[in-house]
Amino acid sequence: MADASERVLEYLAEVEAAAEDVLTTKQQIVDLDSKRNRNREALSALRRELADTEKVKVCFGNMFIKFPKSKAREMIQRDHEQLDREINDLHKELKAKVNRLNELQGKPELRGYSLSPLSSEEIRAVNSLLKV
Amino acid sequence: MASTKVPEVRDITRIERIGAHSHIRGLGLDDALEPRQVSQGMVGQLASRRAAGVILEMIKDGHIAGRAVLIAGQPGTGKTAIAMGIAQSLGPDTPFTALAGSEIFSLEMSKTEALSQAFRKAIGVRIKEETEIIEGEVVEIQIDRPATGTGAKVGKLTLKTTEMETIYDLGNKMIDSLSKEKVQAGDVITIDKATGKISKLGRSFTRARDYDAMGAQTQFVQCPEGELQKRKEVVHTVSLHEIDVINSRTQGFLALFSGDTGEIKSEVREQINAKVCEWREEGKAEIIPGVLFIDEVHMLDMECFSFLNRALESDLSPVLIMATNRGITRIRGTNYQSPHGIPIDLLDRLLIIATSPYTEKETRQILKIRCEEEDVELSEEAHTVLTRIGMETSLRYAIQLISTAGLVCRKRKGTEVQVEDIKRVYSLFLDEARSSQYMKEYQDSFLFNETQTAAMDTS
Repeated sequence: MADASERVLEYLAEVEAAAEDVLTTKQQIVDLDSKRNRNREALSALRRELADTEKVKVCFGNMFIKFPKSKAREMIQRDHEQLDREINDLHKELKAKVNRLNELQGKPELRGYSLSPLSSEEIRAVNSLLKV
Repeated sequence: MASTKVPEVRDITRIERIGAHSHIRGLGLDDALEPRQVSQGMVGQLASRRAAGVILEMIKDGHIAGRAVLIAGQPGTGKTAIAMGIAQSLGPDTPFTALAGSEIFSLEMSKTEALSQAFRKAIGVRIKEETEIIEGEVVEIQIDRPATGTGAKVGKLTLKTTEMETIYDLGNKMIDSLSKEKVQAGDVITIDKATGKISKLGRSFTRARDYDAMGAQTQFVQCPEGELQKRKEVVHTVSLHEIDVINSRTQGFLALFSGDTGEIKSEVREQINAKVCEWREEGKAEIIPGVLFIDEVHMLDMECFSFLNRALESDLSPVLIMATNRGITRIRGTNYQSPHGIPIDLLDRLLIIATSPYTEKETRQILKIRCEEEDVELSEEAHTVLTRIGMETSLRYAIQLISTAGLVCRKRKGTEVQVEDIKRVYSLFLDEARSSQYMKEYQDSFLFNETQTAAMDTS
C-alpha cells in the first residue's frame, strides 16, 4: 500500500515537473519576445528621429551612457538577432517538452506534430484546398 | 422521417444510404475488441464485428495498406451496417470513401478512371503549415496624413497582449490594409508576418461597453495572452484526389463550379505521387491510408477486377472493403461462374468476413433501435408481431413497416403503434414473397407475359 502510494506520488511529481518545465519555457519566450519588441521600437526610433551625427543615450541596467548612434544601432541589432535565435531554440525545446508531458500523462501524440512545415510556395500551391 | 437524414454527412454517396443505417455509431466493441451484444446501434453478428474490429485497429495504426476485405452474407444481414460502423469508428481524420459498384459505370468517365479517383479519394496526406503572426488587441491607431493630401502617410499602431504592449511604425501599405479592414481601437487582430495580411478576430471584451449600437455579428473575444509575435502551426489533411484536381485544372476556378473534373491524366498523377513521396522523405507529409468501401461489388466487371488487383499492389493504396450478397454466380461480363461473383485471383487476396442471418431476438432488438431512430412508439404486442414479420419476410420489409405504421397511427391520432396499425400496413404493402406470389397468380393479365420463360436471375 505504502509502496503504491509512493509510486503514485513519484509519478505525479514527475508530471508536475514536466508541466512546470513547459510553463517556464513559455514564460521565457514571452519575456524574450517583449524584449525583442522593445529592441525593435528602439531601432525604429533610431532610424527615424535623430540625425546620424548625434549621440544617443543608451540605458544599461540603471545607468545611461552616451553612445554614437551607429554604434548603438549595431549593438541593438546584434542583440536583436541573438534574441531571435534564442526564441527559435526555445520554440524547438518547447515542442519536445510538450511531447514529453503528453507522453507522461498517457495522452496520444498530437497529429502531425513532428512534421516539418511546407515551404511558403508549396503552401501557396495547395492553398485553394486549405481555405475551403 | 426527415430527421433521420440529418446526421453528419461526409460525402455524397453516404447520403443515399444513410437512412437505413443512420442508427449506427460504431462497431460496438469494448477496449479488448470484444463485441457487446447491443452497442452503438449494432446488434448480434459478434464474430464478424470482432473481425472488423481487428481490421479497424490495423487501419488506425496505419499498419495495413493495400489490403482488401470482403464482407459477404445474405441480404439483410448487416454488411453495410458493419462497413458504416467501421467508417464511424475511424473518426473524421481517416478518409473514408463509399461508393456502390454500379456508380463507376458512367458515360463521362472510363470505369478505371472512376475507380482510380475513388482510390485516391481514400488516401489522405497530412501536411503542416507554419506561419508567424502578430496577434494582439489594438490599443491605438494613429495615422498622420500629409497636409497636401498626397504623398506617403505615416502612422503608429499600438498593440497589446495580457503580458506586453508595443508600438509598430506603419508604412503606406499597412495603413491601407488597416483602413480597408476598418480596424479601430479595441479590435483584436492578427497580422501575418510573411504576407502582411490583417484579419480581425473580434472586439475585446474590455471594450464591450464602448458603444451600445453594435451589429449582431460583432464578436467579443478575450485579449490575447502571451507573446505578441506567435508561431502558428496548422495541420491539414487533404486527399490525393484533391491535389490531383487542382493540378490538372487548366482553366482555373471555372472547374470548381462545374463540379465535374473529367479524367485526370496519368502523368499528373505520377507527378503528384512523386511530389508526395518527396515530401514524405523530407518529413513534410504523412500519408494516411484510408478506406475505400465498394458496396455491391459483384456489379463490377472483369476489367475492374483486374484493375483492383493491380491497384492494390501500389504503395499508395488504401484499405479496400467490399461487400456483396451474391453466392456462386457469373462474373459480370463473362460466362465464368465464381464465388461472390469475384474472380478467384482477386478472391485469393481478400480477407473474408461472413455475416449470418439475425436470430429472432436480434431482429427484435434491431427493430427497437430503428423505432427509436424513427421516433415511433411501438406497443409490446405490435413489437412481437413486427418481429414475426421480420423473421418470416425480411428485416428490411419490417423496418419499412415501422415508419408507415407510425403514419397510420398518427392518422388515427394514436400515440402508440398497435397491432391493428401493423396489420393495416401489412395489407397495404406487399412484401417480396407475397408480391411474387401475386405475380405468379395473375401474370396472364400483365403485359408482355410471353417473356416469362426467361427466368429472373436472382441467385
